[in-house]
Amino acid sequence: MKRITASRFYKGFNLTAFSLVMTFLYVPIVILVIFSFNDAKIITGWRGFTWKYYAQLWQNDIIKQAFRNTMLIAVLSTLVSTVFGILTALGLQNKKFSGRKLISALIYVPLVIPDILMGVSLALLFNFTRVNTGMFTVLIAHITFCISYTVIVINSRLEGFDYSLVEAAMDLGAKPGYIFWRIKFPLMLPGIIAAALLAFTLSIDDFIITFFTSGRGFDTLPIYVEGTIRHGTITTINSLSTLMIGFTLFLVVITKRMRKVLISAL
Amino acid sequence: MSSLPKQNWNLSNNNSSRAESKRNIASWALTAPVLFWLIVFFLIPYLIVIIYSFLTPDIYDVKFEFSLDAYRQAFSADYLNTFYHSFSLAILTTLLCLLLGFPVAYYIARAKDKLKNTLLVLIIIPFWTNLIIRIFSWRIFLAYNGVLNDVLINMGIITKPLEIMRTDLAVTLVMVYVYLPYMILPLYSVLEKLDFTLLHAAMDLGANEVKAFFRITLPLSIEGIFAGSLLVFIPALGAYLIPQLVGNQKTLYLGQVITYKIKNIPRNWPMASALSLTLLFFVAVLLILLYALYRHNKSRRIA
Repeated sequence: MKRITASRFYKGFNLTAFSLVMTFLYVPIVILVIFSFNDAKIITGWRGFTWKYYAQLWQNDIIKQAFRNTMLIAVLSTLVSTVFGILTALGLQNKKFSGRKLISALIYVPLVIPDILMGVSLALLFNFTRVNTGMFTVLIAHITFCISYTVIVINSRLEGFDYSLVEAAMDLGAKPGYIFWRIKFPLMLPGIIAAALLAFTLSIDDFIITFFTSGRGFDTLPIYVEGTIRHGTITTINSLSTLMIGFTLFLVVITKRMRKVLISAL
Repeated sequence: MSSLPKQNWNLSNNNSSRAESKRNIASWALTAPVLFWLIVFFLIPYLIVIIYSFLTPDIYDVKFEFSLDAYRQAFSADYLNTFYHSFSLAILTTLLCLLLGFPVAYYIARAKDKLKNTLLVLIIIPFWTNLIIRIFSWRIFLAYNGVLNDVLINMGIITKPLEIMRTDLAVTLVMVYVYLPYMILPLYSVLEKLDFTLLHAAMDLGANEVKAFFRITLPLSIEGIFAGSLLVFIPALGAYLIPQLVGNQKTLYLGQVITYKIKNIPRNWPMASALSLTLLFFVAVLLILLYALYRHNKSRRIA
């Protein structure tokens, strides 16, 4: 009897902690979303419902440009880093590969170093080489920090790879190209999609490395938002943030759906 | 007759070693783009950081004159204070995340399978939400005329708004908020694999909940604790955005100082480089220590 009450207490404690943490995680975000519809210039109390700030968002050319920049960088860096990830993961499949240790080290080290150091080192590289900072330097930086993630995600997917399939295909006379597109690629696909989504979110989310590698005139959304809230005018930031949160939810749902579709397709 | 099998053996050996070296070349070719990319955009930049740390600052740029001033300053009392702030913030954040994250991870790990996925998604959504938006939402929540103060005043708990924004408390709070999922997810992944029958066995043998926790659950989840702590501690050491947006200018953290040295005029790039390398050095020492500890732990468990 005593033990049951003790374990109930234990469970109750965990449930309480869980609920508290959930509240902690969601209250600020929910308030932000609610106040994006608040008809007030500053955040003091509820002054009625409005779409005004969403309309303002639509009219703001700087925000639209920042959005386009963010998407451009995200799509390009996702494409390049995913292709790099596929190639490297295939290369690392060979367990006797003499460069295995070197490449693994180069891929893991950026992950265990604070982001800001990659920002600093790239800023100095672009200063040293006298390259004009802008879209290209931001793109290079984003590809650099996405590579580690795409390689690791795709590689972990290949770890449990059933090589007897490849051997069987080879015995039956299949050419390497055929083997890649008909066997390896479909098996890698869930990993590739997971890697691409991760790279895409990382790219959209990044502030600090972009901050160090973009010159004046090339703002992504995080850079724009930071500059705006530092200088105080925040009316449109609420609505912009709400849209970005919506986008996050959309990505989470897509990922879950895609995984289901892929698993059932394969 | 007798030489035939030997020859055959030689032939096949030759063939397989040739195939092996062919595969090796293929692997080099496949990994070459990434190898090249990371040498040019990851390793070489650090070489430049090392070079710059020994140069003389100029207002907008650097002068190529050798100097040790940057290191001399980096180890002066002012900057040691900055290091102290950053380290204590990172340690505090890690501990609080562990304290809050453990029961949450435990709860999710023991939930029913269907519920488990929903709970995990609930943890992941804030994790995927843009960092700057999460920080911004706290600014709204904690502001002098913000929601928290409104609610507390309306409830009659306080009469004057609390000034939490722009304090060290706000920085710690938001740090914990941002890094909590990084702690919960690795903890969850070890707790999920934990064999809970061990706990029942221990309790059947008379151990109470607390004892069972400290003798079984905690030691078996040590890898998750290490991984989670690392994922929180290392980025927390270099945090820039959170102290910048919710902290004050009296307590500066390392990330802020490094950024100011690069972004603000007069620039001091040698100083930024020296501070970055010092931070890198601390991170490297920490990782090596943890790795040694991990190896020691593992070999002890096997023995």
